[in-house]
Amino acid sequence: MNEELDSQLSAMFDDELPPAECELLARRLSRDEQLKARWGRYAVVGAVIRAERGVRLNAPLAGRVSAVLLTEPSLAAQSAPRSARRGGVRWWQPVAAGGLAASVAAVSILWLRAQLPPGTPAAAALASAQPAGPRLSGAGVVPASVTGAAAPGDRYVVPRIRPGAVLVPSTELANYVVAHSMFSSPVARRNLLSAFMTSEPAAAAAEELQDDVKSAAH
Amino acid sequence: MSADASDLSLVRRVQRGDKGAFDALVLKYQHKLVKLVMRYVRNPAEAEDIAQEAFIKAYRALPQFRGDSAFYTWLYRIAINTAKNAVVSRDRSPIEYNIDASSDESYDMHGRMKDSETPEGLVLTDEIRSTVNAAIDALPEDLRTAIVLRELEGLSYEEIAAAMDCPVGTVRSRIFRAREAIDRRLREVFEGGLGRAEELG
Repeated sequence: MNEELDSQLSAMFDDELPPAECELLARRLSRDEQLKARWGRYAVVGAVIRAERGVRLNAPLAGRVSAVLLTEPSLAAQSAPRSARRGGVRWWQPVAAGGLAASVAAVSILWLRAQLPPGTPAAAALASAQPAGPRLSGAGVVPASVTGAAAPGDRYVVPRIRPGAVLVPSTELANYVVAHSMFSSPVARRNLLSAFMTSEPAAAAAEELQDDVKSAAH
Repeated sequence: MSADASDLSLVRRVQRGDKGAFDALVLKYQHKLVKLVMRYVRNPAEAEDIAQEAFIKAYRALPQFRGDSAFYTWLYRIAINTAKNAVVSRDRSPIEYNIDASSDESYDMHGRMKDSETPEGLVLTDEIRSTVNAAIDALPEDLRTAIVLRELEGLSYEEIAAAMDCPVGTVRSRIFRAREAIDRRLREVFEGGLGRAEELG
């Protein structure tokens, strides 16, 4: 038997071994029957010194407990279903995550619609990608009833035409959508990306046209 | 040094499904627990049964043990409750007698009566006791003082170091060497004695 190991065992028996060493030795102690027997004899020595009379020092109590526990499921096996039950209590988490994703998608689409000029393929894609649910009236959008373009009772809205609207580059929008893709639905994401791809030449043409206009003015 | 780190490391292993670590806890505390239960019941065999039940209850309740108190304190409470319930269910009054070193007379009376059903067990227990005492008597004084201060007085290594005016490392070494010297002689008795017990059983 290793003397250093026995010295550690003695210190562990007295709760005088550092916790990190206890972890390692506890692992070995639980598997090494020789070490366990020595540990048991240390307990007997203590019982004799404390004069624990009336107590049978050779009682097979540990063996009896061990035999009973053989028929018991291990605690790790018991705790698995318990943690599963605990997981069932958190049913609201996926619902909340879905709600959050839908909110982010709705805000993103409204923001993009406010930024894009109407009539472009990207704007059309955004209009089709807007999630179902109550439509919001806010900055940059006006109710259809105000414009008179829709029949009474219709609830959809059309974007307000803003002459000074800043055109967000398609690449930047694509990066934005990709970065937030985990919060948007696959259909909306696919629609947006395909819209960016198809609108790329149109945006480039618009930029060329603007350059042409500027150079003509000069 | 965190108190109870030793027990806690074993407890954590049991909680992760290692039943072998629970054996170590039973081996460490079985005598203390039986002695505790014997405050409530007369018969040592009955005390062992109750202690066994307490250990099994503790095992089953171990997932709820968070380590806020020492393991033995927690186990102690379980054993007391188990013993009280056993006494109530058997319609007996708890008998408050505490056998200790100073009451040899009462030990002789109760102890002999309790072990009367298993004289071989009594002989073996006496043999173990006399072997350990002889081994302790044969120890050098510094080793004997260290192990007695630890086991009888329950002093920490630091307190023993202060009492013996030596470093903590020396205390650890002395206690270990004392245990080894006793264990060398005890092992012979146990190996022979336990074999006899199996034959008798």
